[in-house]
Amino acid sequence: MSALRPLDKLPGLNTATILLVGTEDALLQQLADSMLKADCTSELKVHLARSLPLPCSVNRPRIDLIVFVVNLHSKLSLQSVEESLCHLDAAFFLGKVAFLATGAGRDSHCSIHRNTVVKLAHTYRSPLLFCDLEIEDFRAAMAQRLVRLLQICAGHVPGVSALNLLSLMRGSENPSLEDL
Amino acid sequence: METQSEEQAVTKPADSGGEGGPPQVAGAQAARPEDRMTLLLRLRAQTKQQLLEYKSMVDASKDFHFQIRFYEFDDEHKIEELENEVEEAKTAFEMKKLALDRMQLSTALKKHLEKVDIKTSVLMDNMKQILNLNKLIMKSQQETWDLEEKLLDVRKKRLQLKQASERKLLEIQTEKNKQKDDLDSMENSDKIKAIQQNLETEIQITTVIQHVFQNLILGSKVNWAEDPALKETVLQLEKNLTMI
Repeated sequence: MSALRPLDKLPGLNTATILLVGTEDALLQQLADSMLKADCTSELKVHLARSLPLPCSVNRPRIDLIVFVVNLHSKLSLQSVEESLCHLDAAFFLGKVAFLATGAGRDSHCSIHRNTVVKLAHTYRSPLLFCDLEIEDFRAAMAQRLVRLLQICAGHVPGVSALNLLSLMRGSENPSLEDL
Repeated sequence: METQSEEQAVTKPADSGGEGGPPQVAGAQAARPEDRMTLLLRLRAQTKQQLLEYKSMVDASKDFHFQIRFYEFDDEHKIEELENEVEEAKTAFEMKKLALDRMQLSTALKKHLEKVDIKTSVLMDNMKQILNLNKLIMKSQQETWDLEEKLLDVRKKRLQLKQASERKLLEIQTEKNKQKDDLDSMENSDKIKAIQQNLETEIQITTVIQHVFQNLILGSKVNWAEDPALKETVLQLEKNLTMI
């Protein structure tokens, strides 16, 4: 299956679609539920996948935002995410991809160092978000953030485009990259 | 390959209010046109934004250089250059927008001033207040500047004093060193040695004379302890001259 391209389909009216990619099904499901509960004026569609490439037999709408969920407790999730990244068209990385690292709260269980994900996000020039998806409140807050992000990437917010948002978010991230 | 990854889709209709689907309650007839209008306007803004995004992608891909640059992602330096270009374009746009806004504001202000009676306008009061505050600011800035000048002068003087004291101490030290050197050289000079030799010779001669007198007095078998003058003389002869 060829790579996923961001603008090859026409957008649905008032619809925004997000694709969550990650190996932890339970966490993805919970995050999807929180996102659907969040307050939003557009219709939300959440797709979940364990890895890319996606089967082309399914008729799916245009994907506006892809979030790769990496669990810092398992090296397998990082590996599968890295493998999936090859199947994405380069045009996606102009603001329509984000990385979400979960499990940073329990430092003793972390097998992936925080800097690894930071470097990964830096290589692909995409924003990196940290959230402990197991905790209800953090998940709800992160779901709200993702909904806003999704709205902008789908073009529902006039005056802000995905690329614009990317450079805005980059401004606050750079100080931490100096440590690398 | 197609069976390797699973996919699930979860959807949700739009949230409450008459915005999402067809209106269901007959009693909300009056509110519906408002909701429809807002919905339509919102959809219009959305479609505009999406159209803009597609247009910009089409325009960018028409540019031949874009096609080539797009896939040269190995070079970190190039990526940063491109990012900087984006930032520069953004700031240039913001500057232009600011300039335009300023021009619009000034024309609107001009028109407003032409219409309104100058003496009573709130705008004029604001302007006067602004002018007063500006005068105050300038005055305090001037005072600050003067105080800073004074501070600078004091610091300069202190530095000069420090340098002067440093020089004096240096002079004192050199003088002391010179004195010490002179003393050392004097001690080693030949004159001193000759004088010392003479002194030693004289001391030896005097010691010998002392011994001669002692022996003379002892040899004459006089009781020298009885006569105080003689006693004093004998005791004086006992003095060791090398200790002097």
